[in-house]
Amino acid sequence: MDLKLTEEQRQIADSVEELLANASDSARMRRAAFEGGGFDAALWHQVAELGGCGVHIPEAHGGLGLGVTELVLVAEAFGRRLACVPWLESVVLAGTTILNAGEAAVAARWLPSVASGEQVVTLDIGLLEGARPTARREGAGWRLDGVLPAVPAAMAAQWLLLPVQGEADSLLVAVALDAPGVSRRARTNHDATRPLAEVRLQGVLVPEADCLARGAAADRALELSRRLTAVVLASELVGVAQQCLDLTVAYLGQRVQFGKPLATFQALKHRCAYMMVAVELARSAVLGAARQFDGQPEEGRMLRLATMARCLADDAAQFCTQEAIQLHGGVGFTWEYDPHLYFKRAQASRTWLGTPSAWRERLAAALLDEAAA
Amino acid sequence: MTSNNYEAFRGEVVAWMHGHLRGEYEPLRGCGGLGDPGYDPKLAKRWEQKLARGGWVGIGWPREHGGRALPLSQQVVFHEEYVRAGGPGRLGHIGETLLAPTLMAFGTPEQHRRFLPGILSGTEYWAQGYSEPNAGSDLANVQTRARREGEHWVIDGQKTWTSWAHESDWIFVVARCEPGSQRHHGLVMLLVPLRQAGVTIRPIKQITGESEFNEVFFDGARTEASLHLGAPGEGWKVAMALLGFERGVSTLGQQAGFEREMECLIEVARRNGAARDPVLRQRIAQAAVTLDALRCNALRVLAQDGAEKTGVPISREAYIAKYVWSNWRRDFGRLAADVLGAAADLTDDHDALAQKLRQVWLFSRSDTIYAGANEIQLNLIAERALGMPR
Repeated sequence: MDLKLTEEQRQIADSVEELLANASDSARMRRAAFEGGGFDAALWHQVAELGGCGVHIPEAHGGLGLGVTELVLVAEAFGRRLACVPWLESVVLAGTTILNAGEAAVAARWLPSVASGEQVVTLDIGLLEGARPTARREGAGWRLDGVLPAVPAAMAAQWLLLPVQGEADSLLVAVALDAPGVSRRARTNHDATRPLAEVRLQGVLVPEADCLARGAAADRALELSRRLTAVVLASELVGVAQQCLDLTVAYLGQRVQFGKPLATFQALKHRCAYMMVAVELARSAVLGAARQFDGQPEEGRMLRLATMARCLADDAAQFCTQEAIQLHGGVGFTWEYDPHLYFKRAQASRTWLGTPSAWRERLAAALLDEAAA
Repeated sequence: MTSNNYEAFRGEVVAWMHGHLRGEYEPLRGCGGLGDPGYDPKLAKRWEQKLARGGWVGIGWPREHGGRALPLSQQVVFHEEYVRAGGPGRLGHIGETLLAPTLMAFGTPEQHRRFLPGILSGTEYWAQGYSEPNAGSDLANVQTRARREGEHWVIDGQKTWTSWAHESDWIFVVARCEPGSQRHHGLVMLLVPLRQAGVTIRPIKQITGESEFNEVFFDGARTEASLHLGAPGEGWKVAMALLGFERGVSTLGQQAGFEREMECLIEVARRNGAARDPVLRQRIAQAAVTLDALRCNALRVLAQDGAEKTGVPISREAYIAKYVWSNWRRDFGRLAADVLGAAADLTDDHDALAQKLRQVWLFSRSDTIYAGANEIQLNLIAERALGMPR
């Protein structure tokens, strides 16, 4: 495994970072989060212009046709700036599900508008317990009823991908969010940079043509997307942790107490060093996982790689966001300073796509249990 | 290199190890080194010579010095497969990977001719004379003195934590050659024969009960006037450059060793029921993925252009490398003891797997101390990688 990045890969990461450093600086990010419902439409447009919505979507469908390595490089910048765009939801989560749904017609119908950013597609990942929707046959299609208590990016999205139990097997359907019977209510959440909405489905009719996959094919598409998204989410968290480290080192360098900058105290230097250790190890894990995902590993290997990235990035984000608040002292507890925004993102991310302990338990079963061996 | 060639080379290493680590060498299989009970140094030296005849010493050295000039990727493969095959701890490691590159960079042609062949053939062994009782983390506080007397350097002082000195022929010594000089000024790096009347070697008993390192006393010890490496007075520069060679390709061999230890722990956990404990399951999974991440970090370090050369700025992932592997292993040692349960405390239980885990539990206490203690690593990370003020 060669972990050297190519010049093109560096350029992609730099161009997104450059865009976001300006277009999603603290002030703009806060405006989008607290006054714009967590969606910065202008920024989304700029990301799309840059090709950011089509990173891993094949060129045949209007994307850049790149790999998981490029995805994680871009994701780190999104995490670092808490950019208020539904990139993870639409491009990574929904886009990867569609890519793996199997049918060429499905890819041809959905991917071009995802890759261009023209449409935002989200996917229900089962946050919070709700009345899981049911699907009943009605004519040539399906009738859906149920409540999804917290769907990411549902206010910004036009379409919702929904795994649902049909009469005979599981289904993966696309629901138009402006269809009759669909109602949406924005929820308020601590991590305002990643908004959630409740989606109610009352007698929503889904034509057969909007069923993307069924049975084992649907389950597989969702699982593959979950694993890849776990690695990309991990990279966002590396960005979160890195930004907290940078904010903290800068703050300690300028804050003077006892007649000298706090950054000169060894106890505080070591705390920052611990943060960097966590960040760099997590970054190595994410880059290693991404590079191996690009080589299409077998499924057991994929589980282990996703667990690695997910768990180490979670550790880094939890630790660095906590330390950033602590080492900023009193101002770390104020709304005005940024560490709390990252702290909230780190916590919200923990429950996405399975908690780190659930990932570890799945890996433990593969390593330790006779039946799995 | 094409992946075909790459796999062919891997196959070559595997086949050689399989064909040679057998018969009289069987007792060495899986042995860590001199800290392992039952490790026979005489046999280990014969093994080094066998490796040398097989062309496996100095594989990364330039051809002009008798090496094979293999690219980094192949050196990594060699180290990985060596450990996977159960290859024992390398007695020649200090000479081959620390002193030899330093000799090539700073030594005279005469010094090359005199010392490189002994290292390459596994017939001369080297020890490292850096630490002293009052110069550990604070290495610049070296007090050992060296003075010129006719055709010789005469050395007085004491070194400590000197690994394998009792099995070595030579030692490279950082000593103060300018009386009254301070800190990193006025030092010299000397090449000194260990077997002489002026040198006394006293083993230090470790917490494992074994002795791998020593105190080395110099009382008027002598070496030839020409055997300084680099200019007298510039010993610090040479000593630091030598440490720069320490990070490198053997890391992945070490990694392969950790992977074997992990397999061993999983086997014991499955056997004794620890694998059913929900908290241990979480810890084992976390240890497994962290170990995978160490491998990714090592590969990231190797992917840096020119990381094996001196003078290239150290990358961020390289700064954390020593800290992360040593702390992983120390945590792993405790996990191993917890998986063993009450059996961790036994010293008369000869189950091979349990014995290996107990060894790791104790030995890993040293990983976070030698070669730059945790606290020094954190200073370096904060001051050099993060740029925080001294």
